[in-house]
Amino acid sequence: MKRFLSVLLSVGLAATIMGGCNGNTTPTNASGTASTSGDATSSETASGDEASSAAAAEGASAKGKTFAIVTKAAGNPYNEKEADGFKQAIEQEGGTCIVKHPEAATADAQVSVIQSLISQKVDSICIAANDENALQASLQEAMQAGIKVSCLDSKTNKDSRQVFVNQAGTKEIGQALMDAVLDISGGSGDWAILSATSQAANQNAWIEAMKTVMKDAKYSKLNLVEVAYGDDEPQKSTDQTQALLSKYPNLKVICAPTTVGISAAAKVLQDKKSKVKLTGLGLPSEMAAYIGTDADHSCPYMFLWNPVELGQLGAYTSIALVNGTITGKAGDTFEAGKMANSPYKVVDAADGGTEIILGAPFKFDPSNIGEWKSVY
Amino acid sequence: MEEKSERIVSTGKKHGAKSFFSSWEFALAIIFIAVSAFCRAISPNYTPGNVLREMPKYLGEMFLLFPMAFILLMGDIDISVGSIVCLSATVSCFACNAGLPIPVVVLIGLLVGLLCGMLNGFILTTFVELPAMIVTLGTQIVYRGIAEIVLGSGGSISLKDTSGFNALAGKVGPFPYLFFLVILFAVAFAVVSAKTPFGRSLYAIGSNHNAAFYSGVKVQRVRFIVFSVTGAMAGLCAVFLTSTLFGANTTTGNGFEMDAIAMAVFGGISTAGGKGRLAGGIISAFIIICLRIGLGQINMNPQIILIILGILLITAVLVPNVSSKINARNTKNKVLTRK
Repeated sequence: MKRFLSVLLSVGLAATIMGGCNGNTTPTNASGTASTSGDATSSETASGDEASSAAAAEGASAKGKTFAIVTKAAGNPYNEKEADGFKQAIEQEGGTCIVKHPEAATADAQVSVIQSLISQKVDSICIAANDENALQASLQEAMQAGIKVSCLDSKTNKDSRQVFVNQAGTKEIGQALMDAVLDISGGSGDWAILSATSQAANQNAWIEAMKTVMKDAKYSKLNLVEVAYGDDEPQKSTDQTQALLSKYPNLKVICAPTTVGISAAAKVLQDKKSKVKLTGLGLPSEMAAYIGTDADHSCPYMFLWNPVELGQLGAYTSIALVNGTITGKAGDTFEAGKMANSPYKVVDAADGGTEIILGAPFKFDPSNIGEWKSVY
Repeated sequence: MEEKSERIVSTGKKHGAKSFFSSWEFALAIIFIAVSAFCRAISPNYTPGNVLREMPKYLGEMFLLFPMAFILLMGDIDISVGSIVCLSATVSCFACNAGLPIPVVVLIGLLVGLLCGMLNGFILTTFVELPAMIVTLGTQIVYRGIAEIVLGSGGSISLKDTSGFNALAGKVGPFPYLFFLVILFAVAFAVVSAKTPFGRSLYAIGSNHNAAFYSGVKVQRVRFIVFSVTGAMAGLCAVFLTSTLFGANTTTGNGFEMDAIAMAVFGGISTAGGKGRLAGGIISAFIIICLRIGLGQINMNPQIILIILGILLITAVLVPNVSSKINARNTKNKVLTRK
């Protein structure tokens, strides 16, 4: 009986504490209303700011606002660079930045983070989603609470966001890779593609984009001999590279738009001291040993996106959303500080939502690889 | 009955106000108040409204705590519950997308959980010499494996029509339905463990299962029931998890088993069996939840929050042990000095 009583008492205790908190609501509520009225004034001043800044230029002020970025997981160097870029840009514009890492690399953990940010009444959330659909309920709750939601790097579905900041426009990647092949081959000759699997949607889209670019007369002397598939397995990619070398003695360039393929091919070419050169999309950390313009290195330069710039664009997108410069509808445009491709334009995305494309992929060559190899 | 079980359970503690105030549960209640006050002090957003809004995300795991406490009391362990949550959530999502009405979907979710739990119970009671840790490690891999196969290459499924699950996530005022359900189950499980012969037999099994067996407790039947109920509760957890995630993926329910065990152990329930009370587990669950919400609101690095929780857990296990050792040494010294 005593035991039962103690259980009841404990539950009762918990309830009283809940109740106690509720009792506290009067003062808290007062502070709550105070803070909301504070919010109101700040939004008033913000709209004042907006008017004045709109009068001055299209420059967006972020003063007095709080902008949050949510990464996929802590300790992910690529994500951390994005967060660095985001923070830089927000602080440059005078805003407050919150960088939130979830406890684990799951959508579940990101839900807690979003809920916490709603409690904190931030003005915007920019998130690299761990799952396309799982965040819908919480992100919609955030949007209903007046928080502007965008995502970067890894998107959510169209109903969970206002706009997606996309690091990689398919067209831009196709163009950059074709120009690299043209440059490295010297303008003519045989070249091959080493891809991942034959069903990989992003790979196929990029290869298609390259083929479209190749129709231009400028590339007419280039001859694409084969698209090989290494299935994103190091061993199979190595085998496929060796097969390409023996099948096509006149091969000049291999283009591998996959991080696994490019590092496998780089090793084969460099070990064999082959004259065939390599480019594509690769991780600086894995490729640092192979990047160089002399005969000892197999890859003169390659591409991937720049996470710092992606973070910056995410920041300017958030600011534009909060200031009402854009709403996330296709056709909206906004200034993004000193970024190279500013002003940016919101365009329709393949999934029915909208996106903002960062621009051409970032080039890694001997001049900058040393700095990036430790980053990601 | 109570006399007898009391002797086994609390190793000679006496009833009364003194034992109540020196109990671990009372200490936990004090810690809970301290944590609430602390969070209120560090975060201006730590208001009842916000805490209740953030809570459902964590509350679901308490459905795992209740039966896990029972299992630990018996001296067993079940580390497959996280995977059961994953499988059950996955199947519920498929059922919902097939257009079944929401009560049927919920029932299917519970049923999947129940079946998984029954399989655990069946294996453990048929081959009694197998350790529960290893068996449930096996089924953990099996259940998640099945979920991964069902989910296919994408590794994730999302609800086409979220209205049914949305209704589940509804609220009465600021209180989510989930909150009432948790309280209801908390009371039910606490009463069962403290007041019924079934509950007392859990303590008997945990203290010495051979002795329990020879005293007429149907040890294997009790174990089968508890493991089956655990499965069903994991199904319930999965259903509510789905109502916040609108889908399932291969990482759903990852680590839930450890969270449940941590809540129970922090609450004073011994993993060796036979010791502890569900009330402690429940209070400690709220301590952990409130601490997570509060520290989350001041944007503390989540890894540091995990470290804090880890240290708290070790301290919670250490304090009773150290204090009993000190007590033992003191009495020993007294005996020696008397000589």
